[in-house]
Amino acid sequence: MDEKAQKTIAGVLDKRMNRQLLYYLDICTRCSICKDACHQYVTTGDVLYLPAYRAEIIRRVYKKYFTRSGKFYPALSEGSEVDEKLLDELYKTTYACTGCRRCMYYCPFSIDTTWFMAVAKAMLITAGRGSQILAELAGAAVIKGESIDLFKDIIIEMLKDTEKELQERVGNPKANIPIDKKGADLLYVALAGTHTILPAAVIFHQAKANWTLSMFEAANYGYFLGDVKQAVAIAKRIIDEARSLEVKEIVITECGHAYRVMQFLYEAWAKEKLPFKIRGIVELMAEYIKQGKINLTQDKIKEPLTYHDPCQVGRNAGFYEEPRYIINQVAADFREMTPNREKNWCCGGGGGLVAQPDLDDFRIKTGEIKVEQIKKTGARIVVSPCENCRLQLDSLNEKYNMGIQITSIMDLVANAITI
Amino acid sequence: MAEDLKVDLELDLKGLLCPLPMVRVSQNITKVPVGGIIRAVATDLGSLADIPSWARTTGNEVVKTERVDKEIIFYVKRLK
Repeated sequence: MDEKAQKTIAGVLDKRMNRQLLYYLDICTRCSICKDACHQYVTTGDVLYLPAYRAEIIRRVYKKYFTRSGKFYPALSEGSEVDEKLLDELYKTTYACTGCRRCMYYCPFSIDTTWFMAVAKAMLITAGRGSQILAELAGAAVIKGESIDLFKDIIIEMLKDTEKELQERVGNPKANIPIDKKGADLLYVALAGTHTILPAAVIFHQAKANWTLSMFEAANYGYFLGDVKQAVAIAKRIIDEARSLEVKEIVITECGHAYRVMQFLYEAWAKEKLPFKIRGIVELMAEYIKQGKINLTQDKIKEPLTYHDPCQVGRNAGFYEEPRYIINQVAADFREMTPNREKNWCCGGGGGLVAQPDLDDFRIKTGEIKVEQIKKTGARIVVSPCENCRLQLDSLNEKYNMGIQITSIMDLVANAITI
Repeated sequence: MAEDLKVDLELDLKGLLCPLPMVRVSQNITKVPVGGIIRAVATDLGSLADIPSWARTTGNEVVKTERVDKEIIFYVKRLK
């Protein structure tokens, strides 16, 4: 790699450097308390997955290119040149991180590893070494946004069968799944496919909500890739749709990262204030139940059931009680995992890992702690309001022969609604 | 006609949810020669828009799509 390329890649770190990142670089005492907090390090023992080491790779680049000792006395500094070996290491450690932030919770200085991972991803993309599959998925979402008219008929066709299922479920031949409804109160953003549309449609129908379905899926692979431009382009498809339909709020399905992108990141990235509210569907369902807009059967689920706090919903967004409130309305034997809430262990599938086949074995291995947590509860049903978590839990269920059922909160509620 | 297409690789994507149908096609596209065809059978309706979008992003082509009951059959041609 020539010097110009090295400086271009290192320059990304310089551009992204701010007070907070500098503080993180300076303050880490290498106490390694984070080693016991990271499910990846605990299950593999590989230093590459130690949160402090993840930061160390970035720190070495910083020392090499942006400190006096690194520039003038390289032999005395602990700096590292940007070369293929460093980029290989950076790739492995960065795209394997789920961004769960459990390390940050345990760190005495609250060092946020995801800041290092964001810089690392930007450096890798500049080097042409970003995750290829995540780039393809992000690219596909952008293409879909640019050519929505080509796909509109397909989506409408797809919804016909789902609408029939809805009518059967609610016993009303007029029940429908509205799209492009101007002036609706809420725009519901589901995932690709129909599995997150039907239960939501049942709930909205019963709550007599004035809603419309987004033409776009909630998932944002630009975010996982670490490409802010792509992430904004993917989110903007939904923002523009909401604007043109003049809705009052956007409601995101049970998808942790999609909710965080829209609620916490989009405004800062796009530098624009959104004229509508963003909510997750779990929050809305809890409100419907509390306000008596939907009635749930008193015949509660008797099988033991546990709840997995998705990192992006719990630790990273602060929603702990709403899911538990809903679960307690529908389940007679709710059993908490230990630990839970902000101390919950990551399932191992977040951060886009479920979409990266080269990490399949790794995520199954690093999901061991979650498997043990679930087994200890004795639960036969595991509920989680995040698609990435559910896909990972499905894989763990199969690979570890757990014999459990994995479901969403929406499905629990839709099945418990009294028609 | 689908029966005229010479299929180089069959992929069973039934039961997989987004993004896995796209991921599996991407993972396997280099297993067929340039000009070769993957026949992928999915059940996730989201793949109806996802797989053609993926093909356009990556410079490949969905040459035919069929629906048989709940199955969606894609014929994906590797172009490069």
